Amino acid sequence: MRRVAVTGVGVLTGAVTGGSAAVGAFLAAGAPGPRQVRPEALAARIDEAEARRLSRACQLTVGAARLALADAGLEPGRDLGLVVGTEFGDLRSTIEFVDGYLERGPVGLSPLLFPNTVMNTMAAATAIAVTAREVSLTLNAPTVAGELAVARAAALVRAGRAPAALAGGVDQLAPVLLEALAELGAGADARAEGAGFVVLEPLDAARARGARVLGEIAGAAWRALPARPYGVGRRTAAPRAIAAALAEAGVAPEAVGSVQLSAAGDALRDRWEQALVAAALGGGPPRAGAPAHLAGRHSGLAALAVAAAAADAAASGAPALVHALARGGTQVCLVVTGP
Amino acid sequence: MTPVAVTGLGVVSPFGAGVKAYWDGLAAGTCAIRPVTLLDTEGFRCRIAAEVPDGVAGSPRRSRADRLALVAAREALDDAGVSRRERADAALVVGAVGGGMLEAEAWYWERHRRPVRATRALHAIFPSSHAEVVGSVLGLGGPRETVVAACSSGAAALALAADLVADGAAPLALAGGVDALTRICFMGFNALRLLDPEPCRPFDRDRRGMSVGEGAAFVVLERADRARARGARIWAELAGSGTTTDAHHVTAPHPEGEGMVRAMRAALAAAGVGPGAVGYVNAHGTATPQNDRIEARAIRAVFGEGRLLVSATKSMIGHTMAAAGALEAVATVLALAHELVPPTAGLDAPDPEASFDCVPRTAREAQLEAAISNSFGFGGQNVTLLFRRA
Repeated sequence: MRRVAVTGVGVLTGAVTGGSAAVGAFLAAGAPGPRQVRPEALAARIDEAEARRLSRACQLTVGAARLALADAGLEPGRDLGLVVGTEFGDLRSTIEFVDGYLERGPVGLSPLLFPNTVMNTMAAATAIAVTAREVSLTLNAPTVAGELAVARAAALVRAGRAPAALAGGVDQLAPVLLEALAELGAGADARAEGAGFVVLEPLDAARARGARVLGEIAGAAWRALPARPYGVGRRTAAPRAIAAALAEAGVAPEAVGSVQLSAAGDALRDRWEQALVAAALGGGPPRAGAPAHLAGRHSGLAALAVAAAAADAAASGAPALVHALARGGTQVCLVVTGP
Repeated sequence: MTPVAVTGLGVVSPFGAGVKAYWDGLAAGTCAIRPVTLLDTEGFRCRIAAEVPDGVAGSPRRSRADRLALVAAREALDDAGVSRRERADAALVVGAVGGGMLEAEAWYWERHRRPVRATRALHAIFPSSHAEVVGSVLGLGGPRETVVAACSSGAAALALAADLVADGAAPLALAGGVDALTRICFMGFNALRLLDPEPCRPFDRDRRGMSVGEGAAFVVLERADRARARGARIWAELAGSGTTTDAHHVTAPHPEGEGMVRAMRAALAAAGVGPGAVGYVNAHGTATPQNDRIEARAIRAVFGEGRLLVSATKSMIGHTMAAAGALEAVATVLALAHELVPPTAGLDAPDPEASFDCVPRTAREAQLEAAISNSFGFGGQNVTLLFRRA
């Protein structure tokens, strides 16, 4: 089994756009930022053909992936795995595709929009843009999709199934979606659009090429806690993903110095998360951050959470957790150690 | 790769509920592609599909796709004899694309006509809904994932689940794929002019496109030593998988099938066998002119010409989207177990590019050591699963 290094971060969000330096400065400042990506920030990361051909969700993903690869000092064209988490996919294109039919009948259907109705369209566009020819996966989940993508990619790299991987996520908001979420009572989360990735590679390979190592994913696990679909579970549930990730990392619960939470405004879910983390780590709760409070919740936020955990672990010397919990019970935990 | 045993199978197919109905239909070479009843097809060139017949068991409050998934998942767990306690640690990996879109479309169509409130059906709209429902109802507490890899989603789910079991992240896993027919899918493939107005004819010289379908299939995977120790029936071993990306075009495969070849070779390498060990290929075989030509070239590049048996399940049940990879994996496992290769139904004049035995119309008895199932999808996603006789 290989040790898994984080060698690059790239985020394209309204609040912050750039690599690990920009993300570090944003996190240190701790001031909330805008929830929409500025047009010029996006335009600077894609070429004219991509701007014309790709949907906005695909453009965001391609842009963030390029930022992460540049931050890692990796040239596109190297064989890479790709794991993209998303909660909503390219819903805006899906709605546009359907509206074409509802307004004009079968002749109103756009064959160019149809591929965007499948959630792997962002991964497909990104694989082409950065020549990722190994395994490429799109993982769909509420709330935890980005963290799950990082955990799955870490497992792929650890087991030698991918030589290196871009992992993170993307989400984009659509007016119909926000309207529906609000009516269903699921609208309390502070949401934003954006994409973010980390670059993971075997530690020995990173060292061999002289890469800067931001941190290590020393443990990664995901589990399903008992809960009804779309509901929250008991606060006394065993926090099994945290236990499994700590066991894989060989880290004792009391050694954890800080935790980045997925809390984003859904009061029931956020309280469940706090209770599970407190139960898993025992004693007084460690220092906690919640990047969604700064940048809004989207599946690309996982890259910000990993960067924050790595920075904290590097500064304090203590392992840091990235934790995410979804309604329905999917729990993800990453143990991040310093370089 | 650590040997992973297939110890349970569950299916809902256009032949109805159950593995037996599925295998009976495949073995007889029956085509289940008929006029569409679930959707309004007025104005479309193609108006047929392979629908699951006779309604789908389960609460009408759940989406059709969630109900399909639950029926197949239950059958697989029962088939494997997995106890309630064992389920608490079992992984669940679901390949999905359409989610609960069929019901969400009905709401959106109505909203287009008049103002209507959001419906509870929207909770189930996304692909992850199936895993939430199946996991919650059946009490599966291990790692849970929903993978969207277009038409290779079901196969990708089996590959990911096998990795979890091999790596020790879970003692056993329930993995599969599901899709119900949706307006978006039916309209989209019509818009791309990829659908044949008549039932599809994979590998036929005169093929004119695909037929869409729906269904669900799940398998139970566990370490082979664990399965033997508990005395479980082992249907087959999932001995290796290969997952690659073309990085070439969003909808079209690489013209030489470069990514397909890498996926097949990776599966052989993971299983530690040479191409000569494989006697049967359950092809992706969509019946689009392009897919079948390129897949045939890729198969030839890996296995050479001649003795190989190659058949396309889609000739009987259409292209069941995210379920296809899982349904075809089950067909491959059953072919190994029953020593019978299901045919390519409706095949009259094989394409000269398909320089292997396409098992036209009638199932063929064959003792096989190993077989592969290919699944490819939009986005240049290629997955090959290699199964070995138990």
